[in-house]
Amino acid sequence: MLDRIARDRVATLLVVTIAVFLLVGAVAPGFLSARTATSVWSSGLVLMLVALGIFPVILTRNIDVSGGSILGLSAVTLGLMLNAGHPLWFSLGGALGAGMLAGAANGALVAGLGVPSIVATLGTLGLFRGVMLIATNGEWIEELPEALKALGAKSIGGLSVMGIVTALVICLVWLFLRSRRGRWVMVVGDNREAARHLGLPVKRVVFLSFVWGGAMYALAGITFAAQIGFVPNQAGSGIELRAIAALVLGGVSLLGGVGTVAGTVIGVIFFTAIDTSLVFLKIPAYWNDLIGGAMLLIVLLIDGRLRIALEARDRAARYRRSSHKTDAAEDQGGAA
Amino acid sequence: MSTVLAELSDVSKSYAGIPVLKGVDFTVRAGEIHALLGGNGAGKSTLMKILSGLVQASGGAVRLGGEPLSPATPAQAQAMGLYLVPQEAHIFPNQSVLQNICIGMPKAAGAYRQRVEELIAQLGVSLSPDTKAATLEIADRQIVEIMRGLLREAKVLILDEPTSALTPHEVSTLFGHMRALRAAGHGLVFISHKLHELRAVSDRITVLRDGYVVLGEDMAASADHAILAAMSPGVTALDARAGNREITGAPVLELEGLGGEGFVDISLSLRAGEILGLTGVVGAGRTELAETLVGLRPRSGGRVTLAGRAFTASGPREAVRAGLVHLSEDRQQYGLFLEAPLFWNTSSFVFGGLPFLLRPGREKTRFDEYREMLGIKCAGPEQPAGSLSGGNQQKVLMAKCLAAEPKVLILDEPTRGVDVGARNDIYRIIESLAERGTAVLLISSDFDEVVRLSDRIAVMAGGHLAGELAGGAATDDVAELAFEAGEAAHA
Repeated sequence: MLDRIARDRVATLLVVTIAVFLLVGAVAPGFLSARTATSVWSSGLVLMLVALGIFPVILTRNIDVSGGSILGLSAVTLGLMLNAGHPLWFSLGGALGAGMLAGAANGALVAGLGVPSIVATLGTLGLFRGVMLIATNGEWIEELPEALKALGAKSIGGLSVMGIVTALVICLVWLFLRSRRGRWVMVVGDNREAARHLGLPVKRVVFLSFVWGGAMYALAGITFAAQIGFVPNQAGSGIELRAIAALVLGGVSLLGGVGTVAGTVIGVIFFTAIDTSLVFLKIPAYWNDLIGGAMLLIVLLIDGRLRIALEARDRAARYRRSSHKTDAAEDQGGAA
Repeated sequence: MSTVLAELSDVSKSYAGIPVLKGVDFTVRAGEIHALLGGNGAGKSTLMKILSGLVQASGGAVRLGGEPLSPATPAQAQAMGLYLVPQEAHIFPNQSVLQNICIGMPKAAGAYRQRVEELIAQLGVSLSPDTKAATLEIADRQIVEIMRGLLREAKVLILDEPTSALTPHEVSTLFGHMRALRAAGHGLVFISHKLHELRAVSDRITVLRDGYVVLGEDMAASADHAILAAMSPGVTALDARAGNREITGAPVLELEGLGGEGFVDISLSLRAGEILGLTGVVGAGRTELAETLVGLRPRSGGRVTLAGRAFTASGPREAVRAGLVHLSEDRQQYGLFLEAPLFWNTSSFVFGGLPFLLRPGREKTRFDEYREMLGIKCAGPEQPAGSLSGGNQQKVLMAKCLAAEPKVLILDEPTRGVDVGARNDIYRIIESLAERGTAVLLISSDFDEVVRLSDRIAVMAGGHLAGELAGGAATDDVAELAFEAGEAAHA
């Protein structure tokens, strides 16, 4: 059991998350409730969607740091279209389209022109934010229609429409990674040359993973706007780094090829749970970053140490086995 | 005459205006093994990459099974029945063996499980489809590549230096597989630097030099010296062994009952100016022994005396300071800074001895001295190490070791993937080092090489010292000792 927890990052994190919940529950009565659960879920939605967007990009051994800017750009597109009198479904489509277009721009730079993804998306991080600010003349978009806000409000069984959409997206990604094409995404990041050698469409896989990222940031932008009812200038700023941290925490390797949907989900829930607990513990919100960062380091350190210890043990066992084998062979040889 | 499975006619290729292939004709027929030979940089790899769709030809035609290869992509070449098994097996370390074999196939991996299990049985290898590929040995990785080709029902298999990382025993197993495939009507291209290997299995031979075909005929009709002369005019054979030397130097390195990961109870002694060959089959524990000596792996018992003093290295840095220098068998991964200029590489072992503010001028002068001494072919000290051919990279590594002025030099497979010309140069470098008093521990799976260079030969098997032979022993005796002890250890 302990062995399994140590070997499986997701299990480690699950145990730690449960421990955090129980600990906070013991100190702050009323924390352990269905209400807290749904509130953690809904306040984590934006981060969850951004993380689900970056996830495939990281699996292909790339990175995308423009997620927050695309989120803002999509939210602004949505707001401007709605306030110009377009119907909700059309505006939602517009926001999604803006996100996918921005993702396609990232994908074209990385897969088409061969720009390293960190450079390309650092560039578009500024670019997309700039486009957003110019589109709004630097002002906030306010007075979004009730129809949009309804998407973010709790309706069915304590979950919002966007909450249900997010749950569906999680299932979709989970299914996709079990499909043949999903495996392509994993192996392109695992060994790019090998994938090319086997005739996989490496560039297309990378391109589409960025487009997927764009679509998810757009969904995050829609959720963001629906939840708070307006779009500030800095909407989504910095969220990509929190999402990457959550992914790493959930066992997604920045070197590509390794990671699970379960890890992604639990990584995000862990971060959100910390934020929510701080509210219950009446710790001022400006402590969030420090505590979140410290928890990230602690979990990664424990995980890393355990892994090293296990590897050393496995290695020792392997060599013991092989030398036993030769001893036995010699004994036989001697007897013969 | 049997059917032509693959045909390259008048193929040319230039990189950045520099021609690499200049009108090459090449065919692969059903039921033949076609040997392809050439020095480093002769164009073999490029030719095979063109045939497999990884690289586009600048001119000429590529036909597979009579049809032109179009579009020229790896996927299309595979669909048309050709598979390239690269020199370094392309493995997805985080995926299972089964996934590794089936990636890129039209259906999901589960659909091919039965076929893969049949292939495993057919090849007679002990591999589980569910093993994680990261744990596979080099030989097994190669088998995975071959199974990839077979699962895709490739009629033409290209094996690019498949033997360079294999022990003789594994090589003969591989040859068995190759003969079976030939009998089943496949056409194979076999690339190797080792003439006796090519001769053992091939039906036809093509030799490339400077982008031209300089020899193309039946294997049986071509004599060794003709092949070597075609490949590199001026070098007709590897230099012969000089004869026994008298070693009078004092012992500099003594191991008493040394044990560690993968080996136990090793006692050896090495004198100044002596070349001790350490050979055996894979899994014998030679590389582990070398890495333990310089502190890269933990030691479990025994004593090491270096120049009269008890010695325990906590790491390579300390070992280098004490005069014990180790050159890894994997020059790409552990040896060179591939992107860095050549003179950085030669200075890298003695980096601690350089002044706080570096003097690149002096480093370059130093490099130029080594360049002349070792015959390194390059554009200049600024050239990135990764752009040199394998033989020249190995010479740069030798220069790096020389710069550290070692008392004891451990060379692990110093001529792997190196052509005959450069191999001769490296042999001379090793000999002149020994003449100047350096003790050399030469680790090699190439028995000819060990016999050619060593003053004494130690054979390891299954982590034990199986025996010691005098310098100039017959290659067959060395091989016999290594195999017998190896078989006993694996039984």
